[in-house]
Amino acid sequence: MIRLQDVTKVYDGGTVAVRDLSLDIQKGEFVFLVGPSGSGKSTVIRLLLREEPVTRGHIWVAGKDTTTLPSHKVPFLRRSVGTVFQDFKLLPNKTVAENVAFALEVLGRPKSAIGQQVTQVLQLVGLENKGDRYPRQLSGGEQQRVSIARAFVNRPPIMLADEPSGNLDPGTSVGIMRLLDRINRTGTTIVMATHDHAIVNAMRRRVVQLDEGLMLRDEPVGRYETAEVEA
Amino acid sequence: MSRFAYLLGETLQGMRRNVLVVVGAVLAVFVSLSLAFGALAFNQVVRVNTLAWQDGVHIIAFLNDPGASGVAPDAHERLTNDVQGWGEVERVRYVDKAGAWAEFQELFQDRPDILELGNQAQLPASLRIELTDIDLHDSVELRLAQEQQTVSRVSVASNAIQQISQITRVLNVVGIGLSLILGIAAVVLIANTIRLAIYARRDEISIMKLVGASNWFIRVPFILEGMIEGLFGAALAVFAVWVAARPLMGSVSQVEWFRITLSSGFFLRWGVLFVLFGAVAGILGSFLGLSRYLKETEGTTTGRETVPELV
Repeated sequence: MIRLQDVTKVYDGGTVAVRDLSLDIQKGEFVFLVGPSGSGKSTVIRLLLREEPVTRGHIWVAGKDTTTLPSHKVPFLRRSVGTVFQDFKLLPNKTVAENVAFALEVLGRPKSAIGQQVTQVLQLVGLENKGDRYPRQLSGGEQQRVSIARAFVNRPPIMLADEPSGNLDPGTSVGIMRLLDRINRTGTTIVMATHDHAIVNAMRRRVVQLDEGLMLRDEPVGRYETAEVEA
Repeated sequence: MSRFAYLLGETLQGMRRNVLVVVGAVLAVFVSLSLAFGALAFNQVVRVNTLAWQDGVHIIAFLNDPGASGVAPDAHERLTNDVQGWGEVERVRYVDKAGAWAEFQELFQDRPDILELGNQAQLPASLRIELTDIDLHDSVELRLAQEQQTVSRVSVASNAIQQISQITRVLNVVGIGLSLILGIAAVVLIANTIRLAIYARRDEISIMKLVGASNWFIRVPFILEGMIEGLFGAALAVFAVWVAARPLMGSVSQVEWFRITLSSGFFLRWGVLFVLFGAVAGILGSFLGLSRYLKETEGTTTGRETVPELV
């Protein structure tokens, strides 16, 4: 489903964010990218979304070589990838339902189909009664649920999450992880960058550890074991 | 169609949210295009007024019709040849009755009431005389006065008309140049405004890109916005110049050498063109404003950067 082959990313100014990374992620897998800040986790997510060009190597996402994909086809790549971020990235002037519907509207889906899909996905994330609220009227955990609903409403085969629990308290994080786990059980491949020990240790899924852009380990059922402890 | 309605809705919503930016854009287009349109209107006034005085004509001698009392059938031809021989005269051009009628029709093309009153028979033939030196007009006038059987009336361009005639050519060039510069200014101002509007909505755009919106989907609302702003600004500009020129339009002043006539035909023709230009400027400005924001990165930068070795 996702394949990175000898991928190196050097930012302008010479910072090497990812170095010779090769990785195969199968359909339906749940993979944690772990490592301290600056280890290259977020860069991998950005490279998978083609928000950044690779410096060397190749990346395949959902069967497409993103490194040779022409610019005008990038939107199609992103439609097959749902994304969840630490800061939720919700539109403050749209309601919960509108925020979720937005992801379908940009794809040109008919209005009738949108309403039904939005209701379904809001039920999935447990916000069926809060569709007409605005993001500012919701708690952090609820906002993250909206962002997950938006990422999943289009039923993409892949979901990328960059520190989705970074702004949430441990209790709320557990709820978010349960939700992601449920989505993963529907067959959606999930790649999640995090430095949350508790979550990684509790979930017991595949763990890929990065440090200064290098892959230190790749375990099918791993724990967050690292010498450096992040706050 | 519903997709277009959705995009139009997004456009109007975006404009509502950034009213001040929108007003700024409309005013920018309004100001630059009213100046351009004003320059054009002024040019038109000058052009109409100096129509008869183009090519440096200094004196017009209106002639009695051949066959009238004491006017020989070949009197016009003879006089033309005589005048051409005078030392003060640089050039002389004979305008027959048909030529005078054509000129009259052009001058009053938008005044059917005046056109109705005239006909070719009423208009006299004339000699358009260009002098080697404008200061010599006294002596030429005197000589023409001696031809009183053939010459009915002599008109001399006043200094003011002389000056206007001279600056017409300059004004035409300046007017075209000014309109061009102001037109470009309108495009740049709209581009800037659209860029502001994009800046105000950059989060929304980044989210749109994130969920896979195509560039056209993101672009259309901004292009519509630019077009609407351009249309409004240009329409306001045309309206403002029309209002300003309204007291002058159609009035034929009693001053022999100066007629201020701006026809409704002129306003219609150029007004529509200006409004269209406003819309095009808006679209162009939007494209310029958007280009940088919607650029996708290429997939690879291979060959452009070297990877430092690990120590």
